Amino acid sequence: MGTENCKDCETTAEAAERLERIYEYLDGVLTRKDITEVQQHLTDCPECASDYDLECVIRSVVKRSCTEQAPEMLKVTIIERISQIKLDARH
Amino acid sequence: MLEQTASLLSDMSTATLTRPATSAWMGVDSGVMSERPASASTLSEDLDVAEETEAARRTRFERDALQYVDQLYSAAMRMTRNPQDAEDLVQEAYTKAYSAFHQYKPGTNLKAWLYRILTNTYINIYRKRQRQPQQANTDTVEDWQMAQAAEHTSSGLRSAEAEALDHLPDNDVKEALQQIPEEFRLAVYFSDVEGFAYKEIAEILNIPIGTVMSRLHRGRKLLRGLLADYARERGFNRGEKN
Repeated sequence: MGTENCKDCETTAEAAERLERIYEYLDGVLTRKDITEVQQHLTDCPECASDYDLECVIRSVVKRSCTEQAPEMLKVTIIERISQIKLDARH
Repeated sequence: MLEQTASLLSDMSTATLTRPATSAWMGVDSGVMSERPASASTLSEDLDVAEETEAARRTRFERDALQYVDQLYSAAMRMTRNPQDAEDLVQEAYTKAYSAFHQYKPGTNLKAWLYRILTNTYINIYRKRQRQPQQANTDTVEDWQMAQAAEHTSSGLRSAEAEALDHLPDNDVKEALQQIPEEFRLAVYFSDVEGFAYKEIAEILNIPIGTVMSRLHRGRKLLRGLLADYARERGFNRGEKN
C-alpha cells in the first residue's frame, strides 16, 4: 500500500507484473518498444525505480559473491586425467 | 565409468548450442543480435574434427576448454556446496567433455556446452550419491518463502534495503542462494552470474524456455526475500548508516 505507487502499479498483481518486466528488461529480452516503455515507467514511478535499483544491486552482489577461483591443482589434475584417456582413432 | 559417460552424452551431440555468450541485453539494445568474432571462429569452423590427431585434439581441448575452469568450479560450488565435491565434479565433467569432444561442433558455444556437461554430470551421477532429503519438499518450502518474498516487496524501505544488500558479506549471499530450491538456483545462477541467455539456459538445463523464465522469476523473488532477511539479521535494514 505504498503511497508512492503510481496508478499503473496500484494493485499487488500490477506491481508483480511490473517487477517481471524489470527482470525481462535487465535480461535483455524486450523489444525496442517495450524497452522504451519500461524506461519511461521507471522515470515516472519511484516504487518501480527502487525495485529496479534493488534488482541491479542483487545481481551485482550475487555475481561478486559467487565468483570463485578453482584450486591451483585442479587444472593440473584435469590435464593429467585427460592425458590418460585413449580416444578412439576415428569417430 | 566411460560407458556410462557415452550414454549420458549421447543426447548432447544433437544439441547444438549455437550463439556465443554475448550479453543478450546488449544485443537487443543495440539491435545487433549476433556479434561473433568472425576471424577466430572461421578458423575453427574449418577444422575437420574427424581428421584431427589425438594430440591435436588434446591441445585444442586444453587451449579452448580449460580456460573455463574457474567458472565451472564456481558453478560446481553452487551445486555441491563444498570445495572437495566441487573439484571432483569439475574433474569428472572435464573428463566427460574430453571424451565427447568430437561431438562438439567448433565455432558453437563451447562454454554453454561445457556447462551442460557439468549440469548433466551433477544430475546423473553426483546428486544421486548425495541424496539430499530436502528435494522432496520443494513446494512447501517454496510457498512459505514466496509469502515472505511478497511481504518484502511491499515494505517501504527500498533504498535502505538496496544499500544494506550491497554490504552483505559474500557468505550471506552464498547461503541465501543455497537456500533456494535447486531448479531455481541454477537458473538464476546461469542468468545473473554467467550471463547466459534464456535459450542457452534452456539448452543447458534441457527445459523449455518458458520454464526457464518462470524459474528465473520465482528464483529471483525468493532470493530477494532471503537477502532481505539476511540484511535485517545483520541490523542493516533500519536506514541508518554508520
